[in-house]
Amino acid sequence: MNIWQTTQDAVQLLFSGDMALWGIVGVSFSVSLLAITLVLVPALVIAFALAYGKFPGRWLILSLFNTCQSIPTVVIGLLLYMTLSRAGPLGDWQMLFTQKAMILGQMMVCFPILVSMMHAAFQNSDRRAWETALTLGASLPRALLSLMWECRFPLLAAVIAAFSRIITEVGCSMMVGGNILNSTRNIPTAIALESSKGAFAQGVALGMVLLILALGLNFLLSIARGKAHLRTN
Amino acid sequence: MSQITIQAEDISIRFKDRLLFHIPHLKFGPQEAIYLTGGNGVGKTTLLKILSGLQSPTTGTVNLQNQSWFARLFKSNGKNGVIYMHQTPYMFDGSVLDNVCYGLKFALKGRQEQRSEAITALRMVGLETLANEHISVLSGGERQRVAMARAWVLKPSVLLMDESSASMDKESIERQVVLAKDLLERGSTLVITSHQQNALTALCRRQWCISNSKLIERADLQLIKKDKDNYAFG
Ligand SMILES: Nc1ncnc2c1ncn2[C@@H]1O[C@H](COP(=O)(O)OP(=O)(O)OP(=O)(O)O)[C@@H](O)[C@H]1O
Ligand SMILES: [Mg+2]
Repeated sequence: MNIWQTTQDAVQLLFSGDMALWGIVGVSFSVSLLAITLVLVPALVIAFALAYGKFPGRWLILSLFNTCQSIPTVVIGLLLYMTLSRAGPLGDWQMLFTQKAMILGQMMVCFPILVSMMHAAFQNSDRRAWETALTLGASLPRALLSLMWECRFPLLAAVIAAFSRIITEVGCSMMVGGNILNSTRNIPTAIALESSKGAFAQGVALGMVLLILALGLNFLLSIARGKAHLRTN
Repeated sequence: MSQITIQAEDISIRFKDRLLFHIPHLKFGPQEAIYLTGGNGVGKTTLLKILSGLQSPTTGTVNLQNQSWFARLFKSNGKNGVIYMHQTPYMFDGSVLDNVCYGLKFALKGRQEQRSEAITALRMVGLETLANEHISVLSGGERQRVAMARAWVLKPSVLLMDESSASMDKESIERQVVLAKDLLERGSTLVITSHQQNALTALCRRQWCISNSKLIERADLQLIKKDKDNYAFG
């Protein structure tokens, strides 16, 4: 295997407008973006409640979420597979080997990461920010928005970490998606399949796309979060 | 403007087993200025937070409209509410002007209107030249002035000032007194805590003192007499 030759082939593949390649990229991004969008708001609310609420069992719930982060994605895939397979409890939904199943799996993968990292962000925030917003007349959702703005850096770090995790995740997508071309084949499963067949060029090309898009996303986010000032009080 | 009489019944607060204070009955109304005293840790801040609805007491109730959980889910409060000013004010990440505009966003529609009111308020506290600076460059006293301007623009019915003149120089206190007087004339109620007597506490005609877990109301005459004594010997 010639690494230089493979890289050249990969670059060529990228610029030749190969439909199969861009189809795979499209599946990967639409699935992962939808998955993270669907869990974002519930994760935010739960993370906020865990940091600011006063109810018994808070620490238990938090440790559960923290533990869930370290479950391998294949195990989540396996559980979902068993639930969605014909004989499983949700077999009637006929969702196995569809994009919906992949979205469900990725939601389960990124939810605990989001909750636990966003909780850390809120836990580190200043309670006075919340109180000041409320006392100056903000409604509860507006006050939450203000608080989110105050800790936007750690919150965005949480989103980036969660998104990176699901866009690069192989195990769960492979289990419940099935790596079907033009339907459930996404970037990581395609790379795994192609390289097992000995064709590396597409894998490298997909890897490059992932890198470039990750870079673009992070640039976008750093523009969105605006200027950074260190707190002096 | 709307005037509020705050009435609290049987409020007590305890942390673990320690009773901080118990107040059987508390009532204060429009155009009153109250000076709240007591040593460190007797619960002045806690009492003010309870009166503003930011903290709930262990027992008892405070009559606050539009503070119910459910109402706040959908509706912003706008003007004439109860405002608590923190002992060390919190400034939102943004410019000085953004901070003064914060509450106005919920009260006034027009951008331009908000801006001009905020600038007026900043002029009153003498900070209009810093309007576009980021808050992280402000000094401690300047932050307290911004906090006062931020509360004053909303013309609150009740303003709870927790040590709001603590790190202020004489001139700043004078400016704060002007704003406080303005609010009083509009029918607001002020509660002021302070460890020093100054021009701001001199506005007060009632005095509360927390000691031994109780709230004692001192007669206003006594306060004035004590004032005189202070000046006589000091
Ligand atoms: N959430 C809490 N849990 C336990 N104890 C608390 C809590 N909040 C306040 N306290 C205690 O209540 C007491 C009163 O606090 P508070 O801030 O009201 O005092 P203060 O009268 O404002 O004092 P200072 O003059 O120093 O500002 C303190 O001893 C504090 O430790
Ligand atoms: Mg205090």
